[in-house]
Amino acid sequence: MKKLFNLANIGFLLLLLLEIIPSRRNDTGPFFLLVLVVSIQVLYLLILAVSGDDDKRTAAGDITAIIYALIFSWELFTTKLDILDQMLFPAPGIIVSLFITDLPVLLKGFADSMELLLAGYLLALAFAIPLALVIGWRKRLYNAVNPLTKVLGPIPPIVYIPYAIGLLPTFMISSIFIIFVGAFWPIFINTLNGVFNIEKRIIDSAKALNVSEKTMLFEIILPGALPAIISGSTIGLVLAFILLTAAEMIGATSGLGWYVKYFSDFADYSRVIVGIIFIGMVVTAITYVFNKIEVYLLRWRN
Amino acid sequence: MTKIRLENVSYAYEDRGAALPAVEGINISVHEGEFVSIIGPSGCGKSTLLSLLAGLSFPSAGCIFIDGQVIKGTGPDRGLVFQHYSLFPWMTARQNIVFGIRQVKKSTGKKTIEKIADEYLGLVGLRDFAHKYPLQLSGGMQQRVAIARAFAMNPRVLLMDEPFGALDAKNRVVLQEVLLKLWDNGSEKKTVIFVTHDIDEAVLLSDRIMVMSARPGTVVREVPVEFARPRDRAALIGSEEYAGLRNKMVSLFYDDVLQKIGGSEVAL
Ligand SMILES: Nc1ncnc2c1ncn2[C@@H]1O[C@H](COP(=O)(O)OP(=O)(O)OP(=O)(O)O)[C@@H](O)[C@H]1O
Ligand SMILES: [Mg+2]
Repeated sequence: MKKLFNLANIGFLLLLLLEIIPSRRNDTGPFFLLVLVVSIQVLYLLILAVSGDDDKRTAAGDITAIIYALIFSWELFTTKLDILDQMLFPAPGIIVSLFITDLPVLLKGFADSMELLLAGYLLALAFAIPLALVIGWRKRLYNAVNPLTKVLGPIPPIVYIPYAIGLLPTFMISSIFIIFVGAFWPIFINTLNGVFNIEKRIIDSAKALNVSEKTMLFEIILPGALPAIISGSTIGLVLAFILLTAAEMIGATSGLGWYVKYFSDFADYSRVIVGIIFIGMVVTAITYVFNKIEVYLLRWRN
Repeated sequence: MTKIRLENVSYAYEDRGAALPAVEGINISVHEGEFVSIIGPSGCGKSTLLSLLAGLSFPSAGCIFIDGQVIKGTGPDRGLVFQHYSLFPWMTARQNIVFGIRQVKKSTGKKTIEKIADEYLGLVGLRDFAHKYPLQLSGGMQQRVAIARAFAMNPRVLLMDEPFGALDAKNRVVLQEVLLKLWDNGSEKKTVIFVTHDIDEAVLLSDRIMVMSARPGTVVREVPVEFARPRDRAALIGSEEYAGLRNKMVSLFYDDVLQKIGGSEVAL
């Protein structure tokens, strides 16, 4: 009994009951809202069925309940009571229906954005990590470069956008450049510190095993600095995403940032919200994959 | 035959421009296949001496010879086991040993190296833990892996810095036996330099014990240990000869400390 009447299930029932109440706004029927709520409930039940961990089930239930509470108040103050501005606060059903009709555009935007993001971000990884490994390992280079990073690192990369657009021939190249610069510094600085902070004991151990310079760099320093490299790469990824959407809002003709900016110019706030939610989902998915990679790479830590 | 010889070796740490002498005027020689322990109070320079022998640092004065040659840095002829566990945390027990062997047997095939690694894991009783990471192993197990790695690399000289210092009494005895077994496994014995704080450990394991004192950090006494091998731990500990030697070591060890207290170097 207690299992059945948890917060999530109560929320689900309340939302179903809410749809019985007559609406004041008549821009959408209950269909799309019900699609949303039922999908969430199915997802929730799936998680319950799959997960063996009690803490995780409870958390899933609580999160679902919070989402229901948000949808409930959103639906209540828009469709049912209509006390919020209709243009700025579209009903949840409208968002769901637009999400479905605009999905092809959104997916194309996703593909275009990922192209820029991956190009800039992978370039940053490919330059920052090896460079920082070598510089961090050579004391003299480190002493010269470390103070420089303290000056260049904190410059907010957004300020490069106008210059990059002026400097570089196409929008594509300039956004890749900006994403590259933005992601480069956190990865570079974290890797540098990671190398510097590897325990002396570990370095001495490796030296006592008489390792070659190449082995030292790639089999000792690289894995030794890996926790720092990964935390730098996480920050780099977040910055890359911010810069990507910022650049797209300024100069793109497709992509996720463009979608939001384009429809806000037409005051089509329903689509703006659709874009924001879609971006949220994309970021969540990317972070999820990234975390999986991190857990795998650092599986040797407890 | 003399394997290792130190002539007037001194070493000073650099501390904000000032030189802090850690070891001074050390003269010792160690035979091929000899098991030598170094004991002495904390801070007398035992670890410093070992890192000089390993080639991780270089004497400020004097010379270290191995097989008559001045050492010029680390080398595959010397293996090192540290006081604190010195495994690479991102490699499993087996990978740690494989990594070690690969550094000395560059042209040997992967399969052969893995076989050697498994053999040594078996010798230290960790065959079932081959695929565990160091952080998933207890301190004693980690130290076994470190010892297995050092032996698997088959160096002629083994330098061990309080390898059992952080272990409980039972594990300590087990690992002492493992060490003796690996050292005296039928083929040519390795030369071992073994730093310890534990007088019983030194007496049970060594052919010779060097006693160091602090300020200046130098070897003040060399005590031969002439019990026949293999040594029967239980019988030996009960014997009068053992008690005699042990008492002698205790008084040597603590004389130094007592003198310091008497000489008001230690504020009470
Ligand atoms: N990196 C260092 N920089 C400056 N001084 C140091 C350094 N390492 C050791 N010393 C000093 O050198 C002396 C000898 O140190 P060492 O570590 O060799 O002693 P130890 O005999 O191994 O001591 P313990 O038994 O506690 O391990 C000590 O006085 C210590 O303070
Ligand atoms: Mg020490």
